[in-house]
Amino acid sequence: MQVVGEKQNVWTAPTGRRTDEWSECLTQIAEHEDRAAFTRLFRHFAPLIKAFALSGSTMSATHADELVQEVMLKVWQKAGAFNPEKAAASTWVYTIARNCRTDMFRRLQKFDTPLAAEDFTPEQDGEEPFAQLQSKRSGERIREMMADLPADQTQILAKVYMEGKSHAEAAAELDLPLGTVKSRVRLAIQKLQVQFERV
Amino acid sequence: MATFHPQLELLTEHAAGSLSVAQSACVAAHLNYCAECRHSVVQLQNIGTALFESADPVPVGDVLLNRVLARLDEEAPLHHSSPADQAGSNATPALLQRLMQGDFSDLPWRKVTDALRITRLQTGDPNYEFALYHIKAGGVIPDHGHRGSEMTLILEGGFSDDRGTYHPGDFTYRRQEDEHAPQALADQDCICLAVLDAPLRFTGWKYRWMNPFLRLHAG
Repeated sequence: MQVVGEKQNVWTAPTGRRTDEWSECLTQIAEHEDRAAFTRLFRHFAPLIKAFALSGSTMSATHADELVQEVMLKVWQKAGAFNPEKAAASTWVYTIARNCRTDMFRRLQKFDTPLAAEDFTPEQDGEEPFAQLQSKRSGERIREMMADLPADQTQILAKVYMEGKSHAEAAAELDLPLGTVKSRVRLAIQKLQVQFERV
Repeated sequence: MATFHPQLELLTEHAAGSLSVAQSACVAAHLNYCAECRHSVVQLQNIGTALFESADPVPVGDVLLNRVLARLDEEAPLHHSSPADQAGSNATPALLQRLMQGDFSDLPWRKVTDALRITRLQTGDPNYEFALYHIKAGGVIPDHGHRGSEMTLILEGGFSDDRGTYHPGDFTYRRQEDEHAPQALADQDCICLAVLDAPLRFTGWKYRWMNPFLRLHAG
């Protein structure tokens, strides 16, 4: 049994089922419409969502607050769809925040698309429980190993993920050749042991 | 099971939400066919989660919390049942069905050559063209270089080119400098999704098919 460590209220139950305070909150919301649990969740995640909204500083503070509201309302509405066997609460909230931000950027740019960011999530959901557990474990491992990446790799990943920039935009902003950006991302992803199909 | 997959950088941008709508839709359609790449994307999203979790929090006042709490009544939690069994992995991805608003046969196909018909779908993406190609069994798309990139996903049938044979779910990404002349497999018409750079050049792109050299090839 791999022990996940004590940081961030995370522990590994003897059954191997990882649980944490935020997953419990989501379950409370789903089962009892528990506002106290929602308030705890809000106090933890709202400041992170706001930080995410303001990364890259293209969004005004007003829009960032709007995004926080939108994401947290979705969290309330959709808590029933959260499956703690499949993903950590923070991954689930991050995914909603990412989708809402993408949609908001498109709205702000008067970008008229019939597709919402949510539509881009693959339909197949029927992963085997064992595969789900594997996915979740590798997720935990990736999130732990992120801390050990060299700063130049983290910096680019932050541009891509937090600021929503393409590799090309990241290269332009950091004044680096595109090839350097791509190879740093690739190195980081290899170090994190993400599995992918070679092309 | 797909044999040809999107490059890691495309999967990463897709997972981060930084890929354009049209390209992201094409990658998402591939994921519908490909368990391996779905798994990669899930892992790549964890990079985003790690950065999100370790961001420096920006204070949010109680005013905002109270505003959200006041709205919870209008936004009752949705009751979720577990997702019903999805159609087989070879069915047209739902995202595409949404864009098509009907079957392949309902679309306004434009004839380019005897072997090739094209229809455009509206994704609203200002930077990329999103189209379906219908290639007759055994038909050839004239040899063409690309002015920009071209992403292709096979939906039905298949084609082959200098790199191999592609079947439903297979994904290719060609850059400007690549030239190729895909030929549909002999026994079945091929329908594929193509995402091309720069719709501002759509006219140019359209005319490219029409230029005398190509017309010669197309007979």
